[in-house]
Amino acid sequence: MSVPTVSPRGVAETRRMLAGHMNELGLLAIIVILYGVFGALSPGFLSANNQVNILRDGATIGIAAWAQTLVIVAGEIDISVGPMVAFIAVIMAFLMKVPVPLPFALIGGVVLGLCLGSLAGVLRAIFSVPSFVATLGLWSALRGLALFMTNALPVTFDDNDTLDWIGDNVFGLPVSAVVMVILFGVFVFVSRKTAFGRSVYAVGGNANAAHLCGINVTRIRILVFAISGLMAAITAIMLLARLGSGNAGAASGLEFDVIAAVVVGGTSLSGGRGSMLGTLLGVLTITVIGDGLVLYGINSFVQDVVRGVIIVVAVLLNVAASRRSGRHV
Amino acid sequence: MSASTQSIGGQSAADRAILLSARGITKQFAGVEVLRDVDLDLYAGEIHALLGENGAGKSTFAKIVAGVHRPSRGVLLLNNARIEVLSPLAAQKLGITLIHQEPISFPDLSISENLALGRDDGKPLGRVRWAELKREANSLMAQLGIMIDVTRPMRGLSIADQQMVEIARALASESKLIIMDEPTAPLTPKEVETLFGISRQLRNEGRSIVFISHRLEEVRALCDRVTIFRDGNKIATEETKNLTDAEIIRLMIGREVKGYIPKHKTTVGEVALAVEGLTLPGRFENISFEIRKGEIVGLGGLVGAGRTDVARAIFGVAPAASGTIAVNGQVVEIREPADAVAQGLAFVPEDRAVAGIFRTLPVSQNITAAVPEMIAPKGFIRHGLERTIALDSVKKMMIRLVSPRQPIGELSGGNQQKAILARWLLTDPKILILDEPTRGVDIGVKAEFYEMIGALAASGRAILLISSELPELLALSDRVLVMSEGQLTGDFARGDATEESVMHAAVPRRKVVGDAQAAA
Repeated sequence: MSVPTVSPRGVAETRRMLAGHMNELGLLAIIVILYGVFGALSPGFLSANNQVNILRDGATIGIAAWAQTLVIVAGEIDISVGPMVAFIAVIMAFLMKVPVPLPFALIGGVVLGLCLGSLAGVLRAIFSVPSFVATLGLWSALRGLALFMTNALPVTFDDNDTLDWIGDNVFGLPVSAVVMVILFGVFVFVSRKTAFGRSVYAVGGNANAAHLCGINVTRIRILVFAISGLMAAITAIMLLARLGSGNAGAASGLEFDVIAAVVVGGTSLSGGRGSMLGTLLGVLTITVIGDGLVLYGINSFVQDVVRGVIIVVAVLLNVAASRRSGRHV
Repeated sequence: MSASTQSIGGQSAADRAILLSARGITKQFAGVEVLRDVDLDLYAGEIHALLGENGAGKSTFAKIVAGVHRPSRGVLLLNNARIEVLSPLAAQKLGITLIHQEPISFPDLSISENLALGRDDGKPLGRVRWAELKREANSLMAQLGIMIDVTRPMRGLSIADQQMVEIARALASESKLIIMDEPTAPLTPKEVETLFGISRQLRNEGRSIVFISHRLEEVRALCDRVTIFRDGNKIATEETKNLTDAEIIRLMIGREVKGYIPKHKTTVGEVALAVEGLTLPGRFENISFEIRKGEIVGLGGLVGAGRTDVARAIFGVAPAASGTIAVNGQVVEIREPADAVAQGLAFVPEDRAVAGIFRTLPVSQNITAAVPEMIAPKGFIRHGLERTIALDSVKKMMIRLVSPRQPIGELSGGNQQKAILARWLLTDPKILILDEPTRGVDIGVKAEFYEMIGALAASGRAILLISSELPELLALSDRVLVMSEGQLTGDFARGDATEESVMHAAVPRRKVVGDAQAAA
């Protein structure tokens, strides 16, 4: 027993790798089943046109979900996403109306997103306000502010070709979906290949131990919220381009879909565990459910019920899968 | 129930009514026996001290009696009837109350509400009689000689006052057996006197008190009999007046220093770490010492003496309020662990789960957590390189695992500890602070740690070793410092440090020890 038993890359290793991806495999199976069921129920579901719709809807959730994955892996949560997207879109619309040149309006929105995210991060990391509360405050304040500033009316501005292009397709794919895919690559890289990504997992796994390892826990916490604000700004740009106006009531309930996608994707709400690939599949699951139910023509109130049930079942299966693969949740 | 005012010494054991008997009490935690076949009789109307080193089993025994833990084997008899104490509430109903070492209370409830908690009149929807509760609380606190508004919330009360509320709760419960686990640690001498007065009064009413304390003079002043535990065994039960302090200490530690711990020959070099006048009010005061290259300095003392606080201060986790830290003769500013790491310090913390491991992360990431620049030479992590580095550590430290991808939480305690030590060795530290490095580690793996610690010193590193296990401390250390109640109370060269001398310095004795400052 005193001999170290380090098995070479072999059976145990492969089994462990498979076990580690049980969750992703399970989600893939769920998505395939959903495609089968919805495809059978409504003929239009499998059409190319509908796939483009799914991608475009997915982008709205996905871009914010990449950042939310980092936030939740760090052991925090950001529920301010929806109102933040709407608020930033409204501000950018006002800037366009002035008129401020498009690049400056967009940069203004991005900077605003960074600042609002950092505000949440500072409240959490420096003033020890629980992140749920800090972002709940932002959630309420930003929605109220946007509605107040616009009187709940759309803010319109002159047509802009570049903005229209962002709202349109390139090579038959929505630009927002392309942006989502590119950002997915960036976030996979950041989470797996950079010291910052490692630190996010470390802080979420055990903040005390991370501190002892010389990791600046405060900085990491502020950064994940700043990134979340930045992604809210990018989502706001996509939204502005798609709608052609700033709308204070837009992106209502987006935070629900984003958090659901991350959690369905297997990221642990207690921090320290999760993957971008899981979130990608989670985003697909949530989007496919939404799209399929609309196409099938179910009453929109019942849609919420079905969606809620499917989300909880997906997470239940996920928990069962991790138990079976020997990990405790 | 007949003791009344007679002194205990005047009666033979046979005359006395036995309140509680323990027979063959054994307790295992995760396969490790922490209590072995303990037989103990408590008389009605006596104050009985439980003594022993840290981890000797006295608190575990108390917790079994009070229903916090369940014995692995053995029986408890209350008034000669067998009892099963399934929970603290069950104990309460049987008339057994435990006052915890650290007061457990509900900080946002008032004192009177805290006093009323756990009392069950069997009517879940019964009305709370607030005025009555307040009156009772006032009279209880008055009995303890404490003038305090009982409608105040517990939060904001001093630890001493919180402790007194705990004691008041035990009084209110009309328990026949009250167990106090180190109740006097946070109290002032005057409060201790009050507590003793009340304890004697309770004894005279025929109640029994079990008193756990490290302070011999308190045991001598208060307790009729003492029982001494060592390594999970009951060693002796004796009337207090029949034992001298020296005899008690010998019974507490009396074991051979085992010869299996290797001692490397080291050449002691220049001063690597010098700490001068380190003070953090309420934690430790005026701590000064030096550690030289190649030297292992042991830091002994009882739990709560402030040893971990000093280590945390040096490493910048909770910096000291005043005093200086010098590394290689250079005074340095350490406000953050990152500063300490930059100065070549490493810290293996006492509690693995709380501050050591990243439970959900793979072993490989746990090992490389403190050296991001090593696995990312060009700024980006190379997973193959990380794996190679981790596997290298795994081989060197003989960490037993299935795969470096395995979450570290699946490993045994000893292997987790090895991974944490491996993490710090990758930073190539010049000064290592090891806080209870072998806690919760099997005997066999302990020997491996001793070997490694010795080898680290032999390679010229300076080591501060905090340990509550005297044999380990004495065998490994070139010099032993002892802390007691936040002060350095002993500094022994390797030859002069014995279990007795260290224990004498560690046991708090007001006014007796205290100004035996460290010479370093």
